[in-house]
Amino acid sequence: MLIGAVETGCDFRVLVRQHQAMVFSIALHFLRDRATSEEVAQEVFFSLHRNLHQIESPAHAAAWLRKVAVQRAIDEGRRRSRRPQVALEDVAEPAAGGKPGDPLLSDLLRKLVATLPEAPRMVMVLRYQEDLEPAEIAAALEMPVATVKSHLQRSLAMLRGKLARRGIGESGWTG
Amino acid sequence: MDWLEDELRRALARQDPPDGFAERVLARSARGASGARRWLAAAAMVVVAAGAGGAWRQHQGNEAKQEVMLALRLASAPVHRIQSEVRGMTQ
Amino acid sequence: MKSLLVACLAALPLLAAPQQFHLNLDSVAAKASEHVDVSLNASTLQFAAKFLDASDPDEAKVKKLIAGIEGIYVRHFEFKSAGAWSQADLEPIRAQLRGPEWSKIVGVTSSEDGENAEVWLRTAGNKSVGVAIIATEPKEMTVVNIAGTIDLEALSELGGHFGVPKVKPPDKPQKEE
Repeated sequence: MLIGAVETGCDFRVLVRQHQAMVFSIALHFLRDRATSEEVAQEVFFSLHRNLHQIESPAHAAAWLRKVAVQRAIDEGRRRSRRPQVALEDVAEPAAGGKPGDPLLSDLLRKLVATLPEAPRMVMVLRYQEDLEPAEIAAALEMPVATVKSHLQRSLAMLRGKLARRGIGESGWTG
Repeated sequence: MDWLEDELRRALARQDPPDGFAERVLARSARGASGARRWLAAAAMVVVAAGAGGAWRQHQGNEAKQEVMLALRLASAPVHRIQSEVRGMTQ
Repeated sequence: MKSLLVACLAALPLLAAPQQFHLNLDSVAAKASEHVDVSLNASTLQFAAKFLDASDPDEAKVKKLIAGIEGIYVRHFEFKSAGAWSQADLEPIRAQLRGPEWSKIVGVTSSEDGENAEVWLRTAGNKSVGVAIIATEPKEMTVVNIAGTIDLEALSELGGHFGVPKVKPPDKPQKEE
């Protein structure tokens, strides 16, 4: 017996509206290009539309969308086959001393994350955008948990180093 | 809470897609779905007209297609790995 | 009647697919916990191509890729534990690739992961007429022969995330949207 969208709670329109930010943001933070990220996000939802019959519940839909968004973003990144090379001199600096939530710092961090190699870059996106635990990231990326943890450690160390060279660090924060 | 991780959560917070994204997705999906329904209706007529032989051919074709996809999936993975390594070394 | 049958059987290799080396890996299959064996000749590929959906991005890429291929032969093995296979198991393949018509064009080894991948090209005159791929990991081995003309760059792109993943429903409640 076929189970319809109503029975599984998986109305396509609802799923699009509920998860569009997640799907778009995974692509955006990985690819750093809004137009391409929108195309990737659209492809992800078209793929969901074609495969809706496989989705068993809203939670399944969320996990499915996340995994497909990750894969399509990675594939698009490989097609473009370049990592953004950001010269730090070209990036506007956060205000000296910095405050938590400084938008220039956020912009700098996004750009630095985008310069990471593919695997650690997606690990960072899934950790800090989606708040996934290392085991969940490992499942999404089909890599060992130890590798995920290693990517997180090294990426954070790299970011700390680059920020420190710009005089940005914990001691600069207030509040 | 580590300050850098806090800032990363802020920097990588979800952003909404451009205005009208959902409408565009829904509109294109509906066009694709109606196109698929017309195609399926036409295909169903062909299958009925061709009788059981046509349905068997369709089944065989799908089986062959799956074999091709499987073969290429297995072949492409190592080639992709090599290319990624080579790109990593030259960047 | 018997002589006719024998003659037909003898003729089969000539009619069979143009595999460019023998994928004689029965000894490996005996040690593997899982084994995939795919052999697709030109007529099967042409037949399958008719059922590839040009409106599906992945299938469209595949359709274009297989246009120049005359045969694809894949042997893929998975093993329960590392150490189940050895380099000696691949010697029957490598011995054939040492022939003058084959040359190794690229290979990468990761000592950290124990992964190795190499691509060999078969030429006739100045023309590339086939590819051999050998890929190994501690618990996996894949040997491929593609006869005909193949765009390796396009093949590499397929090695991304090709098709739709199987995603099981999660066990625990998801984060609030």
